[in-house]
Amino acid sequence: MSPPVAAIPCTMTPAPLAVSLRAARLVYSGLTLFDGLDLELTGGCFTCLLGPSGIGKTSLLRLLAGLTAIGISGELRGDDGLPLTGRVAYMAQQDLLLPWLSVLDNVTLGRRLRGERPDRERALQLLTRVGLADCARARPDTLSGGMRQRAALARTLMEDRPVVLMDEPFSGLDALTRLRLQALAAELLAGRTVLLVTHDPLEALRLGDHVLVMNGRPATLSTLPDLPGVPPRDPGDPAVQAAYRAILRLLGAA
Amino acid sequence: MLNVVRAILLLLTVAVLAPGAWADDKPAEVKKLVVMLDWFVNPDHAALVVAQEKGFFAAQNLEVELQTPADPNDPPKLAAAGKVDVAVTYQPQLHIHVNAGLPIKRIGTLVATPLNSLVVLKDGPVKTLADLKGRKIGYSVGGFEEALLKTMLAKAGLKMEDVTLVNVNFSLSPALLAKQVDAVIGAFRNFELNQMDLAKKPGLAFYPEEEGIPPYDELVLVANRDQLNDPRLGRFMAALEQATLYLINHPDEAWKAFIAKHKDLDDELNRRAWRDTLPRLARRPAALDEGRYKRFANFLFKQGVITVALPVSNYAVQLPIPE
Amino acid sequence: MKGLWRGLLTLAGLGLVWQLVVTLGQLPPYLLPAPLVVVASLWRNAGSLLGHAGVTALEIVLGMALGTLLGFGSALALGYSRRVRRWLLPVLIASQAIPVFAIAPLLVLWLGYGLGSKIAMATLIIYFPVTANFYDGLRHTPRGWLDLARVMLPEPRRWAVLRHIAIPAALPALGSGLRVAAAVAPIGAVLGEWVGSSAGLGYLMLHANSRMQVDLMFAALLVLAALAVGLYFIVDASLKRLLPWHPAAPETSETD
Repeated sequence: MSPPVAAIPCTMTPAPLAVSLRAARLVYSGLTLFDGLDLELTGGCFTCLLGPSGIGKTSLLRLLAGLTAIGISGELRGDDGLPLTGRVAYMAQQDLLLPWLSVLDNVTLGRRLRGERPDRERALQLLTRVGLADCARARPDTLSGGMRQRAALARTLMEDRPVVLMDEPFSGLDALTRLRLQALAAELLAGRTVLLVTHDPLEALRLGDHVLVMNGRPATLSTLPDLPGVPPRDPGDPAVQAAYRAILRLLGAA
Repeated sequence: MLNVVRAILLLLTVAVLAPGAWADDKPAEVKKLVVMLDWFVNPDHAALVVAQEKGFFAAQNLEVELQTPADPNDPPKLAAAGKVDVAVTYQPQLHIHVNAGLPIKRIGTLVATPLNSLVVLKDGPVKTLADLKGRKIGYSVGGFEEALLKTMLAKAGLKMEDVTLVNVNFSLSPALLAKQVDAVIGAFRNFELNQMDLAKKPGLAFYPEEEGIPPYDELVLVANRDQLNDPRLGRFMAALEQATLYLINHPDEAWKAFIAKHKDLDDELNRRAWRDTLPRLARRPAALDEGRYKRFANFLFKQGVITVALPVSNYAVQLPIPE
Repeated sequence: MKGLWRGLLTLAGLGLVWQLVVTLGQLPPYLLPAPLVVVASLWRNAGSLLGHAGVTALEIVLGMALGTLLGFGSALALGYSRRVRRWLLPVLIASQAIPVFAIAPLLVLWLGYGLGSKIAMATLIIYFPVTANFYDGLRHTPRGWLDLARVMLPEPRRWAVLRHIAIPAALPALGSGLRVAAAVAPIGAVLGEWVGSSAGLGYLMLHANSRMQVDLMFAALLVLAALAVGLYFIVDASLKRLLPWHPAAPETSETD
């Protein structure tokens, strides 16, 4: 059990930054996956992007991350009119921990890449918040999958960016670990502008302040009505269950 | 260069094939006589090439094949192993090989004088053997160059410790010309000296037989000790005798025959080497001077190159030439 | 320990095959001496063999060190720019294509008959495996890590990514190259000695061969083989120690 949030001094969450993407277009192998797509991320909120595999949600996320490839384009900026470069933190389905570094060194990777002095104190605090205080010196290959994603989460928090992009970060984990990490992420990323891409409707409904569904060819985004309650929501909640059924109908699965 | 690897592969092949090879099922007359040279074809082999090209072998009802080895140390071993009928080697090597137990016997001589010499640059600092003190001498691994040098240096009042030996393998002239070494031993006087002349850096040679080493035959022919009853060998020596006489009587035609077969040898170096080799060819290839062989064997024995000086008849024979 | 017994057993087995070849083939000692004769020669000449082995070992080790350094630098250079690649890649391929024993006499003439030419030979023979393997590793840095780095760096910092991510990630590939190098470096050193030298196991083999001391030649060969095998195991063990995070065997699927 991690100690209550209030007992640990936490860093100031940066001012919420909304993100707007206009006229996004992706052509892949001659196929237009989407065209003229608009996406708004509300500042300081969790937006979940739901959709079947291959629809282009990862490409959309990579566009926002600045990891664009050939064939994709769009106008991307924050609500202050400035580009997003340097204001984004990224978390993928793989933990992306460097196997030759200790967990602590992995968490402080960003600073070291940028040539700045890493803040080990803060890194240790973050590791404590994700429950890995004892593993600071360990190598990633000694940790379980769930622990590795916690370390990745700590690294993401370490970056302290207003925008956090997560590409199916928990889909590689077993169900119980997934639920726990979802709760942890919701707690620790509160106040930041988060885009979580997922193919699990339940995850989207649990965590999302807003839920977008991407579907069709070419793909379009539909916004689901906002659910009541504060994330992480109880999966058993009837509102969640109803929304889940609606999504399945929308995706043509039920 | 990969002689050790080749040796091992050859030996394994021999191990598999050896029992079969000694089962003589074909009449000897029909089989080709295989002669393995000591090195690439050069004017030292003049008698063999002329015997081939001018039909002297054919006149003796012989079909002879001349082969070149990967390494000059191979031919006697191959003759001992029965893989070739005749091998060309050097008399000093013959003594060493026989001492190691190789069942070979000398049956003829190609070059009846030593060719080995110690060569320095004519314009170099070494004018006499005594000037070799404190200098580097390059050698190719032959087996008895140390004994040779020791004797030559002793005559000049030097000891082996007064010089440094450097193994340059077969790059004798390049090493000397590049001044990597001050002298080389193992250079053949009919070849390396001409090579250096042509490179406009003439050499000065010191001859072992003039510096205390007993005279010996540089190039000899050997055969397996147990195959000496092969009637082809006598005919082989007869053809060689005829070819040698031809060489002496008709040197120009002989040269033309030589380069007709080996067009790549038609150059100034080989022309000069031919001119210098002809006087050194054995006039009587089959003849054996037992006393001379005995003297040389004693020399090697005293120098510790061989462990026992066997009777000459053990390893050398004068084959009767058929009438 | 079990590995040691297995190794000794293999050795004994090979010795047996050797003896069989000699006995069944009725091979005379000047062609292939019996294993025990060679071992006796090894014992008798232990001092000389050790001295020559030391020389050859020094050539090999220095050659490996130099070759590794050059290979490391070359691989980095190849990844640096297309222009560099255009000039360096043909050199790299030539270094592999030209048989090293053809260059040997030239090297000996340029660098003399001492250690220099042998070290150069060993360096030359390992240059391609080391460079090619390391370059391959550098080129195949896992995409996920590069993506992470790109997001973390508002301005691209090539050297930082190289230093913190690409080079460590490529070290296992370099290790593969070094294992190959350990196996072939002895060849380079010995070839250099055959062309011209005054010391070393290659020189000793040549000397013994021409003096018909075939047992000594094989003894030197055995020592050379032992040297090469020893070198390989040292390199392998060192790599395992230096790269503890790299799995020795492919990972089985996660059970967690």
